[in-house]
Amino acid sequence: MNATCPICEGEVEIAADVMAGELVECPDCGSELEITSIDPLTVEEAPEVEEDWGE
Amino acid sequence: MIVVKVGGSEGIDYDAFCADIAQLVKAGKQLIVVHGGSSQTNAVAEALGHPPQFVTSPSGYTSRLTDRKTLEIFEMVYCGKMNKMIVEKLQALGVNAVGLSGIDGGLWRGKRKSAIRVVENGRKRIIRNNFTGKVEAVNTDLLTMLLEGGYVPVLTPPAISYENEAINVDGDRAAGATAIALKANTLVILSNVPGVLKNFPDEESLITDVPSSQIDHVSEHYAEGRMRIKLLGSKEAIEGGVGRVILGDARQADCVSTALAGKGTTIS
Repeated sequence: MNATCPICEGEVEIAADVMAGELVECPDCGSELEITSIDPLTVEEAPEVEEDWGE
Repeated sequence: MIVVKVGGSEGIDYDAFCADIAQLVKAGKQLIVVHGGSSQTNAVAEALGHPPQFVTSPSGYTSRLTDRKTLEIFEMVYCGKMNKMIVEKLQALGVNAVGLSGIDGGLWRGKRKSAIRVVENGRKRIIRNNFTGKVEAVNTDLLTMLLEGGYVPVLTPPAISYENEAINVDGDRAAGATAIALKANTLVILSNVPGVLKNFPDEESLITDVPSSQIDHVSEHYAEGRMRIKLLGSKEAIEGGVGRVILGDARQADCVSTALAGKGTTIS
């Protein structure tokens, strides 16, 4: 399945077993995108969030 | 001032630990105790039907995935079972210990990371609704008041966010933040290994001294699992002005005294 990059409107191929929250890269503009929903498939520019070094 | 962090992994001898703390307090040392509770939290979470889940960050640090229910179980064990067990043992040894979580009195304040980046099976993902964070400020007035009153503070995660939500924070780094804030000269971090091992799990391969300039190198090449976070907390403490950090073994008698005498991995 494919999605449209919200940054450059390029086509992004999404694996069939993609998980919600998974990060993918737009092959055209290199933007990091988050899969925000599987059904329907939606992608958004990934937020700048930190790693977790909690307990 | 000495800050002593004792971990929560299996094998730790809390009777011996408390006996040694009592001995040091009676000898006139000013101490703050910080503790963990990870293995008990895992057991209680399993028993309550909400098994623990751990996630790995893109740079290889593991941490507990903390949804609201996990946070509540975490509080039951850390603030309840573990904190009161240590306070009870110290009281029985004549030490006027006071147990506090980082929430109480806004003791440990920090920023919540509600969304975090993790790696699962080589795939990067964002997880939301997480209750973790990092201690950024310590209520030193509260600790000073207790210390001046002759009490021994026994501190435990969670901390509290700027929005007043409880947040799971790493105890080693919280102990480091406490040592920095109180200008402690020594931070002791005790766990169920002798220190940093060159060939984990070979305990004969203990690295006894790590100059602060070598912390990153040692972390990258030799540290396994949670030891990487202990080294990160050690680095932060040294950079924050703490004179030395000792990573020692809490499975033996006199574990604090022997660590203070240099047994373990000393970082300075």
